[in-house]
Amino acid sequence: MQTLEFRAMNTLIFMAAEGDDQAISGLQAARAFIEVSESRFSRFLPTSELSELNRSAGKWHKVSEDLMELLTLSLKYFDETGGLFNPSILPDLKRAGYDKSMEKIRAEGADPVFGKYHSTSLALTDIDFDQTAIRVRLPSSMEIDLGGIAKGWIVEKASNLLRTYASACAVSAGGDINLVGIPSSGSRWEVELEDPRNPDRSAALLYVGQCAVVTSSITKRTWIQNGQVRHHLIDPRTGEPAKTDWLSVTVITPKITEAEAYAKALLIGGELEAYKMASKFPELAYITIDRDGCLSGSQYGKEYLNDYDHVFNQ
Amino acid sequence: MKLFKIGLRIWIMLTSVLSFLAGWIMLAHAPKPVQNSSPSSSNIAPLPTLPPLSGLNSGNNQNSWNLFQNSPLSVQPQVQQPVQPSIQTFNNSAPMPRMHTGGS
Repeated sequence: MQTLEFRAMNTLIFMAAEGDDQAISGLQAARAFIEVSESRFSRFLPTSELSELNRSAGKWHKVSEDLMELLTLSLKYFDETGGLFNPSILPDLKRAGYDKSMEKIRAEGADPVFGKYHSTSLALTDIDFDQTAIRVRLPSSMEIDLGGIAKGWIVEKASNLLRTYASACAVSAGGDINLVGIPSSGSRWEVELEDPRNPDRSAALLYVGQCAVVTSSITKRTWIQNGQVRHHLIDPRTGEPAKTDWLSVTVITPKITEAEAYAKALLIGGELEAYKMASKFPELAYITIDRDGCLSGSQYGKEYLNDYDHVFNQ
Repeated sequence: MKLFKIGLRIWIMLTSVLSFLAGWIMLAHAPKPVQNSSPSSSNIAPLPTLPPLSGLNSGNNQNSWNLFQNSPLSVQPQVQQPVQPSIQTFNNSAPMPRMHTGGS
């Protein structure tokens, strides 16, 4: 078994692969893929494909097949979550202080804002798609942040690449995990669910098979603006950092981009929207943790929890 | 029979009116609740704060569940430490590592 740890996409990447020398080659190939992909889809790099797309708003713009795939997926999840997953919140996110990388915000502080917030996010359905010519046209005032969904997409592709070198592998980008194959030492993967109030503490242990596990949290990417703690999850309905019922939501699904979108939408939407989504997608597996450390979620989510009596009585 | 019906109606009407009047008089003479101007002037001891329940709770949604865990809340901006890329090799019998998820 081989592991590789490094920083990319503003987070810690951890990869594990079963095997010997071939697995090492796989880890190196997957790392290279992640670094190249980051340079394509980061909003912080002016030369990235995404930055070029944002600058082209109002005009038709030729995009790569990968970016077209990401935009098409975004539109799909925008529809499925009733607009709660909306990558067009970038102007609001910048206004909330996240206009530079998290490292820079923490070093230099966030710029203050004055006046009342108002949402500037637009419906993703306003984007014109030309699938034949592989080009898109953003509305003139739209800016996109593919953040989480691009991270999920990169993790998925990297783990699929790594799998060609190893019998089983895992790729985690800051805890957004894609698990491919089953470890030969057991019949399942073990995933510790972090307590959002204390990252050194485990809130629960999940036992899962080949799948994706994604957690969206309001306690990780945080900063101070106007004397207030802000976070990166913008509610498209208000244009402000979401006032959430929970501190974190973990979603377990076969596809990591889906898990990314639903974790974010559930955290922003809260109990009411979770109830609606669970009615629409009864198989949706999610686990939430609130400010009191209370774990809740869907019935399918509970089934992944291992020995919760032990976990919660410690 | 007709006479009986008329008598019954009169009896029901009279008992209703009398019951209403009796209730009115009782309430009018009942002691008034104590009005406190501030919590500090109250003679009543403050209620203790109950800890969250531990165990399984059912929500409104039959497909949902709740579990509670006690721990103080402390949400602070977190600082990330630099990491140098490094491949670690384990022997073949080593189990795959336990993964961690918590958001990024």
